[in-house]
Amino acid sequence: MALRKKRIVVAAVIFALLLLAFVPMPSFTNKSKGVVRTVTAPAERGTSTVWGRLSEAGAAIRGIGGTAEKNRDLSQELVRVQAELNRLRNAEQDNVRLRRAFKFYNESPFTMVPCDVVSRNISGWWSTVRLGKGSKDGIAKNRAVISPDGLVGKTTEVSPFTTEVLLVSDPACRVSAKIDRLENGFGLVRGMGSNIKGDPKAKMEFINKDVEIRVGDEVVTSGLSSDGAFPKGVHIGYVEKVFRDKSGLFQYAEIVPRATVGLLDYVFVVSKKEAK
Amino acid sequence: MSKKRLIMFATVLIGALLQQLLPGWAVFGGLKPPILAALALHYALRQNRREMWISVFTAALVQDGLEIGPFGPALIAFPLFGWAANRIHTEIFSDGFVTQLIFGALLGVFTVLVTMILYALTGQRPLTLGQVFLRLSGGFWLGLFTLPAASFAAKKFASLFPERRGYGWQ
Repeated sequence: MALRKKRIVVAAVIFALLLLAFVPMPSFTNKSKGVVRTVTAPAERGTSTVWGRLSEAGAAIRGIGGTAEKNRDLSQELVRVQAELNRLRNAEQDNVRLRRAFKFYNESPFTMVPCDVVSRNISGWWSTVRLGKGSKDGIAKNRAVISPDGLVGKTTEVSPFTTEVLLVSDPACRVSAKIDRLENGFGLVRGMGSNIKGDPKAKMEFINKDVEIRVGDEVVTSGLSSDGAFPKGVHIGYVEKVFRDKSGLFQYAEIVPRATVGLLDYVFVVSKKEAK
Repeated sequence: MSKKRLIMFATVLIGALLQQLLPGWAVFGGLKPPILAALALHYALRQNRREMWISVFTAALVQDGLEIGPFGPALIAFPLFGWAANRIHTEIFSDGFVTQLIFGALLGVFTVLVTMILYALTGQRPLTLGQVFLRLSGGFWLGLFTLPAASFAAKKFASLFPERRGYGWQ
């Protein structure tokens, strides 16, 4: 009897797991993932801050080591001053970066929510980042995420305190785009993951075969996506290579989505579709 | 809640944070070291069945909860591997370095394989033959190195909180 009961429990668990894996239940999935992310969010934020401080300290220590090797006869005081200089240099870089982000925020025609990137994806199967703000801060699903360097991606799963962003370089992210120089150079940008060096890649597909694309052409969002998630004219990247489709009907171009290379700590979620 | 379980939950949480911090390596198909899977296996090889299920499901829920898309890859792979490892854990040298290397490599390949099958069946990830090969070999090497390291770290972390010995009424 006990054995039978146990078998029933095991079968029920297996059934529930398969149901979870194969039957899409967005509401349930979102809610339960929201719980996991809300629990881990404070720890992630703390880790992100500590990691930033450690990186700064590491940079300062590297500075001391390099200087000490080059100038063995320098006094302890000089080394200390150099370390301080390194620290200040880092602070200056931070300052420049934040000023740039602030300027971008002020000058951008869109209504945006500034967010900090608290963590990257956990397994490496998806190209995603997690932001430290969620639906409580007015962020919704399927909104464009941009940085001063251009389009970063779009929001996919939003919990009260965190937001998952699918990067432009992920194969599941598709963006309606156009070659900025051309009138009719429309196409669809799709992520291609990353190359062996780890640089993100994307491909612009379904470009009219008759338009003349040049290496170095700027690719921007067209604003034509059906859900209106991406505003018009946001920089995506530059054309690196141009190919012709096997069928000969279309061209496609390889581009490097610059905003996802060495992604900044701060990004902006376009909170409203209309311009501010 | 027992101290042992608290330590286990803390270890899994730290493992998850560390796994997120580490970069994905392009030579391994962009995969990250499977720290959570390794921790789940670490407990499966050392604990009784009840503790094994708790650790395995905690690690799987955290991994799938922090990943986008539906629950599934870790929730299927971790319990299967954990259950199999727990069944034979009294017959092998769980702390043996070679055992850990072999189990780590098997774990890496198995988790990648299950994830790949699931994503292919549900159409969530496009996979080319090159990516399949790269990720399977990536899973092999990452698992091989991650299990001994994660197991060592988990043991060191647990030893920071020694069990208080019972000395009777005194």
